Amino acid sequence: MKNSVTLSNVLVRRRFTTILEIDHLVIPFRQFTGLIGPNGAGKTTLLKLCCGSIKPDKGKISLGSKRIGYIPQQAEYNAHLPFTLREIVAMGRNALKPLARRLDKTDYERVDFWISRMGLYDRRRQSFRSLSGGQQQKTLIARAMVSEPDFVLMDEPGANLDPAWKGQLRDILNGLFEENPMSILLVSHELDWIPESCQRFILLDSGRIAADGLPAEVLKESSIRRIFENTLLSSERA
Amino acid sequence: MDNYFIPIIITGAFAGISIGLLGVLIVGMRMPFIGSCISHTAMVGAVYASLLGIDPMAGAVALSMAGSVGAVFIPPNRKNLDANTGQAILLSFMMGLVFLAVGLEQGSRSEMLSLLWGNVLFADWCTVFITGSLTLLLLVFMVVFDKELKAILFSRSLAMVTGKHTGLVYFLFLCFCGLILAVNLKAVGGLLIFSLLVCPAAAAYQVCRGYNAVVLFSLLFGVLSTVLGFSISYFLNMPTGACIVITSSLIFAASSLFVSIRKRD
Repeated sequence: MKNSVTLSNVLVRRRFTTILEIDHLVIPFRQFTGLIGPNGAGKTTLLKLCCGSIKPDKGKISLGSKRIGYIPQQAEYNAHLPFTLREIVAMGRNALKPLARRLDKTDYERVDFWISRMGLYDRRRQSFRSLSGGQQQKTLIARAMVSEPDFVLMDEPGANLDPAWKGQLRDILNGLFEENPMSILLVSHELDWIPESCQRFILLDSGRIAADGLPAEVLKESSIRRIFENTLLSSERA
Repeated sequence: MDNYFIPIIITGAFAGISIGLLGVLIVGMRMPFIGSCISHTAMVGAVYASLLGIDPMAGAVALSMAGSVGAVFIPPNRKNLDANTGQAILLSFMMGLVFLAVGLEQGSRSEMLSLLWGNVLFADWCTVFITGSLTLLLLVFMVVFDKELKAILFSRSLAMVTGKHTGLVYFLFLCFCGLILAVNLKAVGGLLIFSLLVCPAAAAYQVCRGYNAVVLFSLLFGVLSTVLGFSISYFLNMPTGACIVITSSLIFAASSLFVSIRKRD
């Protein structure tokens, strides 16, 4: 199996500002990677490059994974629509079906399996907009998993969740990674809840990789404090 | 009501169905201005064609289709300009072009003004055939591409990452917008079609749970708006387009009331 994604000499600019500059980055298959850093460090930009929703101004990205499961931030989807939970999860099967082919019994069996796996079977006919933030996150995870992905990208899945829900989410992600042959790239600016299965941390600072390695190495108190304090100071100056 | 009004009523019903169905997609994607932009682009095509002595319908279809194809290139999430703001600017530009054409018209302005306010009374069996065929085509499109449309409604950017052929289905949807809004321009009017596009779908989104229920109720509210609006206009001798728009707005108000009463219970 190839690497899930390889980035070489990638540069992303917006107007006159460099958003992201990465010389070389490889995410191998079956690795759980945490992408951490302060707000504005370029985490979401890197995630979007990996899933192909934006193109770099320079450089090359080669995607080894065939199927991508993507769990976006809330601003990227219309949570106000009256879709049922089951309808949202079923959308994930689109990746496996040809154009205009309707979902069949097997598809809905997989949909119901993942809804049950997330503990939401009793709520499958409930509208998505009436669910709590944690239940919505679980629904989106089920939506990503029904597409049988080999690379799952998550953008701040723990944002706006209370500590109890974050704990549940951590257990779910640990379980998913153990049980399924796939890579996970998880973006978070909160360091306290990232799952234990995450074997590698990439610390981004001002669009560049500041540290990359085992969690214990990257989470050295001094480097983390320096980066987060710098960001805080520069935002206070602005 | 004599036989003369049968094609008028049927045309009104088809306009209600097709615009009500389009509304589900346009309101669901949070881009009501795009429908308005396309209908105003059709209006620009129609008034300038009329000014040049060409069939206004041909001008409306040509320009609204061009506008629809252009809309494909508007990205779903642009950071430095909200999509609705960009579309509102385009909308006001189109309005300016329409009123410029009205000002430039030397002869009678009644035909041009009817494009702004709408006049369903012109409808004959040929109009019924055209609007009916397009309504049927739109229904087929929505049934065949049901799963793709749902994914685009939920999130166009997410559908583009994880789905297949999202761009093609979105392009076809915009083509339908262009065609249907141009064809119904004369009946409902460029200024009033916006209300018919938004109100039935917004009412359905409020009261329903599940996509299929929204589609069905938006279609029903659309038909109710046009048929009831036309009947009121006929029996009370009032302007047709205005009656249709007021009826659709009242349906939306009734649905809001229903939802707030249901919540209180």
